[in-house]
Amino acid sequence: MLRPVANHRFSLVALLAMMAAAVGPARADGVDGFLVQDLHYGEVLFHFYKQDQFTALTHLVTARSQSRVAHHQDDAELLQGGLLLSWGQHEEAGKIFERLLDTTEDLSVRNRTWFYLAKVRYQRGHLDAAQRAFESINAPLPPELEAERYNLQARLYIDTGRYADAVALLNSWSGDETWSAYANYNTGVALVRMGELQAGAALLDRVGTMSAVDEETRSLRDQANVALGFSFLQAQLDGNARPVLQRVRLNGPFSNKALLGVGWADSAGEQYKKALGAWLELSERDLLDSAVQESLLAVPYAYAQLGADPQAAEHYARALDVFGTQLARLNNALADAGDGRLLKSLLESEPESTGGWYWQLDSIPDDERTRYLYFAIADHRFHEGLKSYRDLVALDAHLGQWSEKLGAYRDMLATRELAYAERLPVLEEKLARFDLPAMQEQQAMNTERTTQARENRDIVAVASAAEQKQWQRLSAMEDSPAWGSQSATALEDKQRVLKGVLLWNMDKEYRVRLWRQEKANAELADELQRAAEQFAAIEAATASLPGTVADFESRINRLEASIEQLQARLGVSMVKYEQYLNGIATEELVAQRERVKTYLAQARFALAAIYDRMAAQNR
Amino acid sequence: MKLRAKFRGVLVFLLLGMTVQGSFAESSGDLAALDQETQALKKSVLELNRDLFVLEEELLYPSNTQVAVFVSMDVGEYFALDSVELSVDGKNVSNYLYTERELNALLRGGVHQLYIGNLKVGEHELVAVFTGKGTHERDYRRGASLVINKNIGSKYVELRISDKEQKMQPEFLVREWE
Repeated sequence: MLRPVANHRFSLVALLAMMAAAVGPARADGVDGFLVQDLHYGEVLFHFYKQDQFTALTHLVTARSQSRVAHHQDDAELLQGGLLLSWGQHEEAGKIFERLLDTTEDLSVRNRTWFYLAKVRYQRGHLDAAQRAFESINAPLPPELEAERYNLQARLYIDTGRYADAVALLNSWSGDETWSAYANYNTGVALVRMGELQAGAALLDRVGTMSAVDEETRSLRDQANVALGFSFLQAQLDGNARPVLQRVRLNGPFSNKALLGVGWADSAGEQYKKALGAWLELSERDLLDSAVQESLLAVPYAYAQLGADPQAAEHYARALDVFGTQLARLNNALADAGDGRLLKSLLESEPESTGGWYWQLDSIPDDERTRYLYFAIADHRFHEGLKSYRDLVALDAHLGQWSEKLGAYRDMLATRELAYAERLPVLEEKLARFDLPAMQEQQAMNTERTTQARENRDIVAVASAAEQKQWQRLSAMEDSPAWGSQSATALEDKQRVLKGVLLWNMDKEYRVRLWRQEKANAELADELQRAAEQFAAIEAATASLPGTVADFESRINRLEASIEQLQARLGVSMVKYEQYLNGIATEELVAQRERVKTYLAQARFALAAIYDRMAAQNR
Repeated sequence: MKLRAKFRGVLVFLLLGMTVQGSFAESSGDLAALDQETQALKKSVLELNRDLFVLEEELLYPSNTQVAVFVSMDVGEYFALDSVELSVDGKNVSNYLYTERELNALLRGGVHQLYIGNLKVGEHELVAVFTGKGTHERDYRRGASLVINKNIGSKYVELRISDKEQKMQPEFLVREWE
């Protein structure tokens, strides 16, 4: 009877799928465009779509704190609320949805938000507020969301006693059939439990006769038929019960209950031979199932009714033997529950991962002690508690991993500090070799000279060194005392010619030389500027590194302390969950033990009565 | 033996266990109190986790040197991605093989962070090689490259696989984000 599994999983898968549909990026920018406007939002969606919800949530929270999803504010907010809600964070999710309603005017976002808010309120038991939130939705939601809305609204109607509204709502549903099947089933069972057999039976019959395409829906159909069959039996409508129970598959997970019910229906009509057919088949099945245990008493009861006392005695004796063994096993299981071993063994086979979005305990370890928890798992309280407990265990492990990482980061910082201490003197020595201010001064002088040359059209100033030397020598001749004398006339002519040729050549090259000089000056200025920046960066880095390392170390210290504190709190909570879950398990095991004890007493009494009757007949 | 009476006990048990989804009413006070405590704990863990992530990123990939490369995908009709190989300045930095679930996430609009690392300021060459199946199940291998100019501040690069309808073949785009 692990029946919550299928539907619960279905609902979560559907919830997250429709959230994905709702928050998926718009493809408005065409084939060649990019779908997301913030890469980090796309990265969150990647984890979300691959169903790694915890990573999606943590990355989303981090990205939002770093303002990396600025283009998807509303969708990011809605996604975070939905993820928190699915993770059991009703309060935080509720705050987000209320805030979103205050800030967004996008109708589509508003309607989806109203839906989530209704869900939060319903889960927290605020039924009137949930109803008001439902009523605020003023346009159809995306298809999957709409199905969830119908389902929740129907449950809300049931919880507030509005049965007719619930039935009318479900009758109006024309969407996905699987969703409506679950909604009909839930509502049908709820109505039967509240004494509204006729209305409930109609809904259950609808599910019990639906066409099923996969194991999930076939299983639900069987479940509906068992529920309906037993409802009829309880109302003493035995004739109605038999055909309904016979619709259940003979080898499905609900066949044991169905066989037991068919036998009871036959027995009620005093058709004991027919009843024996069902019960004998059942009595050969797994003895841990309560229906099979019941059959151990039902079979001899039917034999006795048919007057077959020896067979009845034989089967009662077998029942005594079996119940005796069961009692011993239950006592062992109770001892395990007392010291917590039972709970640990339940989670042993589970891989350690964070987040309980999809997690369900599909099967119990095939162990003779833990298998007695078969019915405890079906208890909503136990299942929810176990899920939260598992979340805490996973979070504790997650924090443990961070703790190890922080240790490694601390080592890394220490290595950085060491490297800094070793490299700094070498670096300082290298830097000292460069007299940057002198270089800058020289460059400024060069630039000034070139500027002067341009302004005065000083062709000598940009001439080559050889030409400048020649020019100086020729000019220096004019300062000689003999200059201007008769004897120097020939020399002066020669000097004039040479000076003229030199001037001609320098003038011819002047423009090109000036351009080259100015270009070289500009390039040197750039190089010196870059060098100055690098010097400044190196100085800043060397100066700030000790501070940066100290800052990181201080943050690591603070975070390590927080981890330690949180792990301590997690430890306390885990112990509470263990006590709570062990309490439920113990409660269930005690109930089972009492039932087996009752069976034992009934079997002993019936066997004694048969022996008495047989003895009386022999006298 | 009072069969009906006994049977009713079983019936109630069965029916009680058969509601497919529990409602708030089934939660006991104990569980509600524990739930409150759990919610507060989860909130604290989430906040701490955020601080840890920020610290890790600032420590390992300071924004001055940080470079992150992402992979995204459009329709994917002409190309089914198997893996992406990424090299930076001739050095292989990532080989990633995608699972079916991850491919589905990409097709739905998710963006995968293929690589995060540190690069100095200046020019760097990124080469991505995409391997997968093209049309008619044929093996397909294509490369795309980009020279990025790394400045002060984080650099994000998106490798995008897109369908080119006109040529009926995939297209591999590289885009820089600031």
